[in-house]
Amino acid sequence: MKLQVIRQRSLWWTISLTVILMGLIAMGISWQQLGAPLRPSLDFVGGTRLQLERDCSVPENCAAPIDPAIVRQILDEQGLATSSIQVLGESQQGLLIRTANLSPEERSRLQTALSEELGTFDPQLTQIDSVGPTLGRQILSSGLLALIISFAGITAYLSLRFQFDYAVLAMIALIHDVLVTAGIFAILGLALGVEVDSLFIVALLTIVGFSVNDTVVIYDRIREVYKANPERSINDIVDDAVNQTLTRSINTTLTTLLPLVAIFLLGGETLKYFALALIIGFVAGAYSSIFIASTLLAWWRERVERGAIDASLESRLEPEPSDIASDES
Amino acid sequence: MGRQRILLGVILALTLIAIGVIVKIPTPLGLDLRGGSQITLQAKPTEAVPEITPEKLQGVQTVVERRINGLGVSEAVVQTIGQDQLLVQLPGVSDPEQAERVLGGTAQLDFRSQKQGTERALNDLLLEREGLLSSREQLQNSSDTTMIATNETALQKTEQAIAVLFEKTGLTGDKLRDSYAEPTAANSWEVVLVFDEQGGTQFAEITKNLAGTGRGLGIFLDDSLLSAPTVPPQYAEAGITQGRASISGGFDTQEASDLAVQLRGGALPVPVEVVENRTVGATLGRDSIQSSIYAGVLGLVLVLIFMVVYYRLPGLVADIALMIYALLTLALFNLLGVTLTLPGMAGFILSIGMAVDANVLIFERTREELRTGKTLYRSVEAGFYRAFSSILDSNVTTIIACIALFWVGTGLVKGFALTLGLGVLVSMFTALTCSRTLLLYLISFPALRKPHWFCPNLSPTAKPQAEATS
Repeated sequence: MKLQVIRQRSLWWTISLTVILMGLIAMGISWQQLGAPLRPSLDFVGGTRLQLERDCSVPENCAAPIDPAIVRQILDEQGLATSSIQVLGESQQGLLIRTANLSPEERSRLQTALSEELGTFDPQLTQIDSVGPTLGRQILSSGLLALIISFAGITAYLSLRFQFDYAVLAMIALIHDVLVTAGIFAILGLALGVEVDSLFIVALLTIVGFSVNDTVVIYDRIREVYKANPERSINDIVDDAVNQTLTRSINTTLTTLLPLVAIFLLGGETLKYFALALIIGFVAGAYSSIFIASTLLAWWRERVERGAIDASLESRLEPEPSDIASDES
Repeated sequence: MGRQRILLGVILALTLIAIGVIVKIPTPLGLDLRGGSQITLQAKPTEAVPEITPEKLQGVQTVVERRINGLGVSEAVVQTIGQDQLLVQLPGVSDPEQAERVLGGTAQLDFRSQKQGTERALNDLLLEREGLLSSREQLQNSSDTTMIATNETALQKTEQAIAVLFEKTGLTGDKLRDSYAEPTAANSWEVVLVFDEQGGTQFAEITKNLAGTGRGLGIFLDDSLLSAPTVPPQYAEAGITQGRASISGGFDTQEASDLAVQLRGGALPVPVEVVENRTVGATLGRDSIQSSIYAGVLGLVLVLIFMVVYYRLPGLVADIALMIYALLTLALFNLLGVTLTLPGMAGFILSIGMAVDANVLIFERTREELRTGKTLYRSVEAGFYRAFSSILDSNVTTIIACIALFWVGTGLVKGFALTLGLGVLVSMFTALTCSRTLLLYLISFPALRKPHWFCPNLSPTAKPQAEATS
């Protein structure tokens, strides 16, 4: 079996562009609805999240499921009408409330009112997250800064080990992976109310670190094949290199995905969407390394070489990179 | 072959040491896994203090630490983050309301005068408090929470009883401009107080009334008595004037500077605000750790099975190398005191993915070499040699991402970056050294030198040559 990556490159590019475009549309819609491209969790915008569960060792405490209407009424009385309420668990004994950022006094008033109406909650099963709005912005900006620094670091390293154009194209593949993951989470945010938290930024960074691996391995092979037979056309070289590393790309992605899928399906609630973000990102990363980074490199090198030949034919007319760049999207 | 043996011995020794370390040193678990409260406090500049200097933050930290001691939480940690924030970790606290209230309030320093006829009562109570404080010190590192709680209640009662013996004067900490320790005679130190103008006048008035009576001037911080110096009779006429006073009482350097810091800290006019609170109940933390660990382990077992099924003998070697990798990495975490959080665990599981990748790269390369008709030994050597540059490049890029995360990231993000980065470093060693040594050792046995155990469906033309030499 031999994969014709170069010949069908317009197909691969169309698939990627379609997915990214859908994601961008979803981001646009959620920008209008929520004021942010992805549904932000309280990590970024600030707020208080209370997760409570009734203590069922107290007699009669868990007799009936929690009635969200009562909770709504309590919240209205406390002036927290805009909060969201969710009843959790199979027997409906858990409660999840999200409000604006509450001060410790406001929060304890709410907790007291809730346990008066609904019964005792088990402190061992309580989870409280409260983030001030300033700190939220700080978490977001430091996360984005980390993303930019790692992009710059990786570009510098790849320019050093390979060449500058390799590095730029690898970077385009990485941006592709980040956009695909963010786009799918924008869709999930609109459809299922999935939020992105600081772990999502961690996930994006991990995706960047991992997916650049795949790209580097393929570029490494392209360089090797090119050194062995420099007279072959770049298209053939890339096709060969991709096919020679294909088993490795698939196996590595598979072995990395196995624990992640297990965590997504069976793991704790905290890591569920973290694992999902990584799964999407790693699949996108493997795809972009095999089909995007390689074909982009072949396309770019071909243009440059043709430009060089044209240039020598047409008495030193410079190739114009600016034209090429504008054709790209 | 001698070098091979030595390496094999080194690997074995390292593995045994790693097991020893894992058994001996417990892995510190983050609050998200063991349950507890993590509170971030932000120091806020005011008009009087437009900038939070490291010294100011230090002062805030001292106050916060003292207040936490007052809460009676064992193993609490207070760290500064950046320019103006403090991170407070309170293990085992699942109702953080009291902690937040106590930590968030501004420290109240005030000066009170002792009521008449309470000298003896005060002496008794001070002795009682002394005893309770020393038993708190002993209990601090124990895990007996009921004893700690009982002691705290008794201590609070004593503090209240002491406070009853004093009268408020209206002179408070915001009128104290500075306080510092100063040596008087050999081995003796005193604490100097400097008031502003209004404070100076008030202070003179209070000391005038107390001078020579034998009653003390009560210096209270958050309603707890710090010190109750008496005022000598020579000040009976005008009190202690000029807004300066010193508390002497046979302090040594440490005691004097502690009191000065406490006074300064209490007088520090920077309010703090609780900007973040993350609390996880102990049971909830345990549940999430368990299900995530089970899931991760299940995934890894599938990976191990996959490696053997797909890569045969080298796959088995890789599995052994992976287990050694896991042991070494966990031991390294314990040695460095890396606190294991949920994202930290995710980082570790992902680093195992990286370690697998190195092996996959090598074995794919080995197979390619075998298919071109090289001998087994040469194929294995070439596999390791030629996969090296890919492994190096891919790991360096991951480490770059980790450094970026660790550098600018906060809290949980840092934990993730640290475990992933350390894991990748260790995996470079295990993939290149462990797998290689074990594999070369195994093919030194002729019985194991079967190319189809390395690459199934090898074309028959390549076979005879592959079996001919080694």
